[in-house]
Amino acid sequence: MTAYSLWVMEFAAVPNYPQSGLIYGMHNQGTRKLPYCYIVIKGQGQLAMVDVGYNHKAHGEVLANTYGVRGWHPPREVLGEIGITPEDISNIFITHAHFDHMGNIEDFPNATFYLQERELSKWVWTMSLPRRFRWLMLGIDPADIMRAVDLARQGRLVCVDGDRENVLAGVDLHAAFDTHTWGSMYVTVRNDLATNSESSWVFCGDLAYTQENLRGHDPKDPEYIPIGFAMGSQFNLIMKTEEMVKSVGGDITHVVPPHEERLKDLFPSRITKAGLRITELALAEGEKSQVR
Amino acid sequence: MVDDATAAYIVENQKCFEDLKQVASQLAGLLVLAAAGSKEAVPDHPMLGASRELFQEANDVLRRSRPTERAMRHHEHLAYAAAFIGTSLKAARGSFEIDPILIPLRAGYAELERAAGALPGFEMVSYERACCGLGAK
Repeated sequence: MTAYSLWVMEFAAVPNYPQSGLIYGMHNQGTRKLPYCYIVIKGQGQLAMVDVGYNHKAHGEVLANTYGVRGWHPPREVLGEIGITPEDISNIFITHAHFDHMGNIEDFPNATFYLQERELSKWVWTMSLPRRFRWLMLGIDPADIMRAVDLARQGRLVCVDGDRENVLAGVDLHAAFDTHTWGSMYVTVRNDLATNSESSWVFCGDLAYTQENLRGHDPKDPEYIPIGFAMGSQFNLIMKTEEMVKSVGGDITHVVPPHEERLKDLFPSRITKAGLRITELALAEGEKSQVR
Repeated sequence: MVDDATAAYIVENQKCFEDLKQVASQLAGLLVLAAAGSKEAVPDHPMLGASRELFQEANDVLRRSRPTERAMRHHEHLAYAAAFIGTSLKAARGSFEIDPILIPLRAGYAELERAAGALPGFEMVSYERACCGLGAK
């Protein structure tokens, strides 16, 4: 059985991103397209997402004008392409607290958000440090933290402490502490709902940006190469990569980095009128394809 | 383009802006811990001491600052931000009820956003060198 339909939804992109930011050590090796995406998980009477993107009102103009981020479209439009609305989403798993992953929580009024408690508490600790430590605050928007206050008061913020199994049937959260950020996590979907699944998917957030992070430059002689940005350590990133790859039985195509443009070479996809790609990873029983 | 005097104002006030932003972030961080039921969010949290010191430094700079005509709007927003954030800090003394802290904090943060939009050189989020497309200058 296939329990969930899984889609990777592009909502913006950087056409020319330096490879060195994505793959450790690739200095002066040119650029590649970096899509910004979130994941939709649909099935078992549930609609869930992994991450929510950023808030264009707050960040869009600066990102577009200064850093070359192009083509942002709101969740209503992006999700509308597969026939759902932001209001339909009931559960959202935030892989980490960077603004481009949790900056758009306001657009999902009915969702409960899951975030590692360590991600929050370590950011708060970081904020208490003198200004000379401000590098540790990169990518954090204090406004997101204020929005999280409202979520918590409404009972819509679940602070997870470590791993949690079956947060939805067959959906597990896995802590990846001191990696890309203090309290990152990745999401596993056991799409046959079996305990020892033979159809697992890992949504890795920013623990990997590209396939090279998962298999190196030579697929015939694979190695793990960490991403270019770790608040924790490259060692921890590599060990978590091993954990993720093992959890999908070694099939790295089932470890899904949301910033990987080449997912289109592995799975069916289509480009919307707005120029955004929808990649279809799996279709639940009875679900109609959204890309064919 | 800004004139030399305004450029000097920008340089002088960047730290003040950053300090106010940091105090706002610190309060927001404690609030989210409080709202999430964390035991760490208490009125005598050591971070509040650091917040008050930072706030005082920012206020000192703000009081000394002499804005040019071009910088006047920025300065007004910064002054409003300081007033609101100061109110929020006072509310965090002795108890840790959320609304008396959060409401002025939101207003203060909105004033910081307006200040950031009024002159170049003031950013609400440090995008540079951050992940995911940031640094793609």
